[in-house]
Amino acid sequence: MELLVLIKPVPDPETRLRPNAAGTNLDTDGVKWVLTGYDESAVEQALLLKEAIPGSKVRAIAFGPAPRTEEILRSALALGCDAATWVEQPADTPTDPMRAAAALTVACQKTPFDLILVGKQALDDEAGLVGPALAERLGIADYGPVVDVRWDAAGRRFTFARAVEGGSDRVSAPTPLVVCLQQAWNDPRTAKLQNVLKARRIAIDKVTWAEVAAGIGSAAPGTHVTAFRLPPPRTGAKMIEYRTPDEAAQKLVRLLREEAKVLP
Amino acid sequence: MSSSVLVVVEIRNGAPVRASLEALGVGRRIAGPPGSGTVTAVLLGSGSESSSTTVAERGVDKVLSVADPRFDAFHAVVWAAAIAAIAREIDAGTILVAGTSNGRELVGRLAARWEAAAVNGVADLSLAADGTLMAVRPVFSGRALQEVRVDQTRAVLGLRPNAFTAPEPSGSKASVEAHPTPDLGQLPALGVVSGFEPAQTGSGPDLSEALVVVSGGRGLRGPENFRLLEDLAGALGGAIGASRAVTDSGWKPASFQVGQTGRTVSPQLYIAVGISGAIQHVVGMISSRTIVAINSDPNAPIFKVADYGVVGDLFQIVPALTAEIRRVRGS
Repeated sequence: MELLVLIKPVPDPETRLRPNAAGTNLDTDGVKWVLTGYDESAVEQALLLKEAIPGSKVRAIAFGPAPRTEEILRSALALGCDAATWVEQPADTPTDPMRAAAALTVACQKTPFDLILVGKQALDDEAGLVGPALAERLGIADYGPVVDVRWDAAGRRFTFARAVEGGSDRVSAPTPLVVCLQQAWNDPRTAKLQNVLKARRIAIDKVTWAEVAAGIGSAAPGTHVTAFRLPPPRTGAKMIEYRTPDEAAQKLVRLLREEAKVLP
Repeated sequence: MSSSVLVVVEIRNGAPVRASLEALGVGRRIAGPPGSGTVTAVLLGSGSESSSTTVAERGVDKVLSVADPRFDAFHAVVWAAAIAAIAREIDAGTILVAGTSNGRELVGRLAARWEAAAVNGVADLSLAADGTLMAVRPVFSGRALQEVRVDQTRAVLGLRPNAFTAPEPSGSKASVEAHPTPDLGQLPALGVVSGFEPAQTGSGPDLSEALVVVSGGRGLRGPENFRLLEDLAGALGGAIGASRAVTDSGWKPASFQVGQTGRTVSPQLYIAVGISGAIQHVVGMISSRTIVAINSDPNAPIFKVADYGVVGDLFQIVPALTAEIRRVRGS
C-alpha cells in the first residue's frame, strides 16, 4: 500500500511567542521548528499501517521554505518514513492554507497513493483547511477529525471514529482516501539516534516552485495575514476576600453578573 | 463583492445548532440591513423542513430547505458539492459556516470546490469601508491572534462557536423554499457511517459548545466528588470538563479532558475547580471569556490566567456557589 503523510514545520510549542517588528507575523528569529502533535499522530498512523500491511511504503510530503521544511522531513524519515518530498516555497512568496493545499496536491499527483494522512490542523495557525481542500482537488473523499483507525488485511478499506459534538461517528471508507487525524491519540514513537543519522543520507525529492506555479496558476493567495499580536496580558485574578463560603459565593456571583456580565 | 451571503445551517437532534444561529447574525451584519444585501440560509437533510421555521425568524431574507436524506450523514464532499452549486445559483459572495466538527471540515473542501478564499476559526469579523472582509482568529491555542484580510471576491468563513451572539427570533418571517437537490456532479467513492457512539460526557451540553464549563482537577481527590461539580454545572446549564490528571487517573473518560491533548473550549464562563493550571490545561481554555479559579493553593498558576479567584476549600466553596446560583436564578 502506498501511504502519503503530509506534515508541516511548526514552532516548538514551548516557543515564547512575539510579533515581528512590523506586527504582521510571528518573529521567527531563533524559533526551533518541529514536528508537532497532529502531524506526529499522522506519521505514527502511517508507520503502523506500513508495519501491518506487507509491501507498504510511506512518503512524507511537506510544503514550506528552506531549511526548516527539509529538517522536519528528515525527522519523519528518522521515524521510519521511506521517502520524502519537499514542495518548495521561495522565502518571499506569500502563501495561505488554501494555496498550501494546492501546492501539496501537485506533489501528491506525482506519486501513486492509496491513503493520504494529514493532521486535522497544524498546531500553529490551526486553520484545518489543507486536508479537506486537498481531497477536493484530488477528487477523493476526506474524513476528519479521525481517531482509532482500523483496516482490512488488504488495506483497501478503513474504519475509524470521526469525532463530532457529543460523540463519534463510526465510518468505514474505501481507498483512495484522505484522513485528517486528531492529535496525540496513538502515542507517537520517538526516533532512535542511529535512524536520525541514517535519515541524513536519504535523498529528499523536490517539487520546485515553478512546477507548483504551473499546477496552481500564479494568482495571489486568497487571504493575507495583516497582523499578529498577543492577547492583552492577563493581569492575574481579582481575588475574592471572604469570611464564610457563603460570602465568597455571593461576592463571586455578584461580580459574574454585574462586572463580567456572564450570568443573567 | 457581492453582498449576497449564504449561511449553512447545521441540524442536530432535530434543531439548528446554536453556532449556526450565531452565523445568521453575522450574515445579517455583513450583508447590511434588509434591502441592501441578502442573507440566504440553507438547510440540508431530512430534518431541514422542520428546522426552517426557527431559522426564518432570525433576520434572514430567505431559507432554502433541501430535504434530501443523502445529506443526513455528513460527508464533506457531498455537502460541499451541494452548497457550492447553491452558492453559484444565488451568486453568493460569502458563505458562513458554524465551526462545529462538521463545519470546520466543510470550509476547506467547499472553498476548493467553489474556488474561494477560506478562513477557519473566525472569532471576529468586520467589513472595511471598501467591502473587504477582515477576520480575527486565535492561533497557537489562543496564545496569539491573527488578523486576516480576504483578498478574493468569494470567501468561505468558518466561525468559532460562542464568539458571536445569536439573533433573537423577530416578528417577521422570511420565506421558506423547498429547494431541489442540486446537481452534485460526479462524486467519489464515499464512506459509510455505520453508527454513532455518544461520548461519556454526562447529561449537559457538549463540552466544546457549552456556554459554561465547570472543570475539575486533582484537587477533587476522587471521582465521587465530581458530584459537586455536576450540581454546579447543572445550576448553570453547563458542561463538565476535567484536567489531564483526572482523565489519566481514570476518574473521568478522556472525552472530558480540556487541554493541549484534549478538547479546546471557549465558553462565556469557565470555572476551574481544584486545577493547578499547568500550561497543558491552560491552552485548552484560555480563550474563554471569563475564567474563575477555585483552589486551596494561593500560589497555583491558575490564578495568573483567571479573572476571578477564590482561595479556599473547594468542598465548602463549590456547594455555597451552587446554592447562590440557584438562589439568584430562582430555582
